[in-house]
Amino acid sequence: MAAYRADDDYDYLFKVVLIGDSGVGKSNLLSRFTRNEFSLESKSTIGVEFATRSIRVDDKVVKAQIWDTAGQERYRAITSAYYRGAVGALLVYDVTRHVTFENVERWLKELRGHTDSNIVIMLVGNKADLRHLRAVSTDDAKAFAERENTFFMETSALESMNVENAFTEVLTQIHHVVSRKALEVGDDPAALPKGRTINVGSKDDVSAVKNAGCCSA
Amino acid sequence: MVNAFIRVTDREKKKQKGRQNSNRDFSLDLTVVFPYIAIFMLFFSTGDGIEGLRKWILFAEASTAGGGGGGGFWSYYSVVSPSGIAIAVTAMAGIALAATIVYSRRGSLKSPWALRKRKYALQPKQWKSLFTPDGKLGDGGVKFLKKVRSGVFTPTNCDVCMLNRYDLNSSKEERDSIRRQKRKEFERLRKRCRQILKRVENSSTVKETAGNNCNEDSEDLSQVVDSSGLEDVDSGRRSTEGESPMVDDSENSSKVKETAGNNCNEDSEDLSQVVDSSGLEDVVSGRRSTKGESPMVDDSDRPPRGQSHQTLVSSDSDSEGGIDKSEITCEDNSPGETESSGSDTSDEDENIPLFASEITEENNIDKDDNSSASRIKSRSKSHADEDFATWQRIIRVDAVRANDEWIAYSSTQALVSEMKAYQLAESVGLKEYDHLEPCRIYHAARLVAILEAYTLYDPEIGYCQGMSDLLSPIISVVEDDSEAFWCFAGFMKKARHNFRLDEVGIRRQLNIVSKIIKCKDSHLYRHLEELQAEDCFFVYRMVVVLFRRELSFEQTLCLWEVVWADQAAIRAGITKTSWGRMRLRAPPTDDLLLYAIAACVLQRRKLIIEMYSSMDEIMRECHSMAGRLDVWKLLDDAHGLVVNLHDKI
Repeated sequence: MAAYRADDDYDYLFKVVLIGDSGVGKSNLLSRFTRNEFSLESKSTIGVEFATRSIRVDDKVVKAQIWDTAGQERYRAITSAYYRGAVGALLVYDVTRHVTFENVERWLKELRGHTDSNIVIMLVGNKADLRHLRAVSTDDAKAFAERENTFFMETSALESMNVENAFTEVLTQIHHVVSRKALEVGDDPAALPKGRTINVGSKDDVSAVKNAGCCSA
Repeated sequence: MVNAFIRVTDREKKKQKGRQNSNRDFSLDLTVVFPYIAIFMLFFSTGDGIEGLRKWILFAEASTAGGGGGGGFWSYYSVVSPSGIAIAVTAMAGIALAATIVYSRRGSLKSPWALRKRKYALQPKQWKSLFTPDGKLGDGGVKFLKKVRSGVFTPTNCDVCMLNRYDLNSSKEERDSIRRQKRKEFERLRKRCRQILKRVENSSTVKETAGNNCNEDSEDLSQVVDSSGLEDVDSGRRSTEGESPMVDDSENSSKVKETAGNNCNEDSEDLSQVVDSSGLEDVVSGRRSTKGESPMVDDSDRPPRGQSHQTLVSSDSDSEGGIDKSEITCEDNSPGETESSGSDTSDEDENIPLFASEITEENNIDKDDNSSASRIKSRSKSHADEDFATWQRIIRVDAVRANDEWIAYSSTQALVSEMKAYQLAESVGLKEYDHLEPCRIYHAARLVAILEAYTLYDPEIGYCQGMSDLLSPIISVVEDDSEAFWCFAGFMKKARHNFRLDEVGIRRQLNIVSKIIKCKDSHLYRHLEELQAEDCFFVYRMVVVLFRRELSFEQTLCLWEVVWADQAAIRAGITKTSWGRMRLRAPPTDDLLLYAIAACVLQRRKLIIEMYSSMDEIMRECHSMAGRLDVWKLLDDAHGLVVNLHDKI
């Protein structure tokens, strides 16, 4: 596990959003990643919350500012306002509730409607520890991810399985995209403020990255 | 029939008994030899500043022989009786003793805000003297509200949550009648919930896979839920707004209903039939949804109060007048919407007067509000996006993750048997509770029962996450589901606007917080502007769940009660009365909560101005206030703001 670092000591700040239906485990993925905590009783997220953690990616310190959003439709208008400026997204569903996977398509639409088209998206099937209750097959999800050009991983916030990997992968891919873009433009990436104005590159970039890095549990 | 107040001396008890005793061991409590009384009408809570005691006093009814004379009297009890059976006579005899014991003990208790001196409690005699022999509050409740508003612990510290239900001027008899009627209504709502659940479960496989892919399916359900029996309401709304989109919407929905079978799989049709089949309740829920349409209705005229009042008071001629009015309103604007209302009319008679008056009231408010268009939009949108099945799912997700803070405050529920808990869970279709102990399963199941009923009662809002946070404290002190439901419904009359999809309610609230900060502290406000945070979105959560996430269970109840008292005062029109003797002379306001929120931001002004350079940081600060707020200081500051700013906001 990468070392937790001081808040202000970073080369990049990337804004990442966690989206998906209510109760799929977004808040626990976040608390597992940023504080290594998990709670069965974590309360529903009202509006948005966020947490940060810095990790090392390719010799650079990347600070991830991860926004955890309310899952319920009702809060969509508020939460979608926070999509703005996001360069990465983890679109979470619950592998034991098929309906949360069905809704992924709507979430994706929503996300793409509010963010730069080049945002790095990872489809995350959470609660993979509940093997006996599985309702969404890995193959189905993988196929969907390929079709939609997103990354894919199955995780378990409870067992701390793949959580680190999922976030790290997203951050790494964002970094790749940003670096490449920076080279093209000749910009100094370190000077970019707050991650909000980072252009993560053209659609092709993301696709290329995606093909190289798709993985699953 | 004898009325009694039950006071829940939760904290006190806990403290006195010491934590070495398990929460479940209540039988030895000295203070509580008194009956636990079945049905309460008003529940009162009080906050004692000195000890931080929380007293919830339940206005309860004890039905016993011999209690009938004198039109009822008010008394209060420490509630922790293990027996759960009311014997009013005993209770009466014991009042004085109970009071003595309770009060003498309080002196030795400590709390986080123990140093903040509060006024002393009223003695039972004084408390009783607030009521006339027929169970009415004297002087329209002014004195009573004064006590609650100032956060003083007295037995007269009325829980305003219940006051939402009853007119301050109501007599015991009237309240009894309302209670009976409302119980039936709640039972009907529950029955519908069970029917729907059954259908959904029977077709769960289809549902599960079809889910939201088959949107018509779920849409049908929700639309039908909303439209069945709502003709009057819809028409009322339409007449209010006089806009055709609404008509289209409703007509569409009824068309959908008719053709549901063609478009969708069978279960949706079945569902719609189930929902459709109950006439009276539909009207009720419909009325509610109408009501909710006006964002600014707030609590100035809440249906339960108005309804009960009118239902009780209205003579025949009143009713007829009401009916006429409502019919006229409907016919004016809703041709083609009356097909099913005709069959329902006979059943609805008693409700109609209320109906009409509400619609009329709303018309006015709506016109003022000018947001009917967005409302319409939101309505249709919400129906497209969410449905009863979704709500059912989310309610269960939230119910099982409700925390256990309440356990220390609700002895009898903490003691619930495993069997009873499992039975209730099964009856409401709650599963996936393996990790919970029986009392929490029971709590979760009650949450499900009431929240689900609420989605039928108020289909425009349905269920929104955060509502379980609001209900949990209420069911912790109110052990009867029907009473708890109506408490919650009364509470939601104002709170529901925060959950509207179109965000009109929440934005209005945030806007007021922003205004308060601007008026009070222009320096801070400028800083917020620089950070583009002047919209105060960082207090969003506080507004939506009324500090529930920031304050402890007990503190939350303290705050809510005072906030409710203000709202009750406004509702009762006691705004002009002299509040001169009250602490800080703050006039009652509908928005005390918002003043409190502004106060807690202002308490951190230095930190915000000097240390924070983005909205994110302020939001993080606000989200990390849990456990760091002193509720009495918050209220003092809030009252201070009210005094200075109420005429500017």
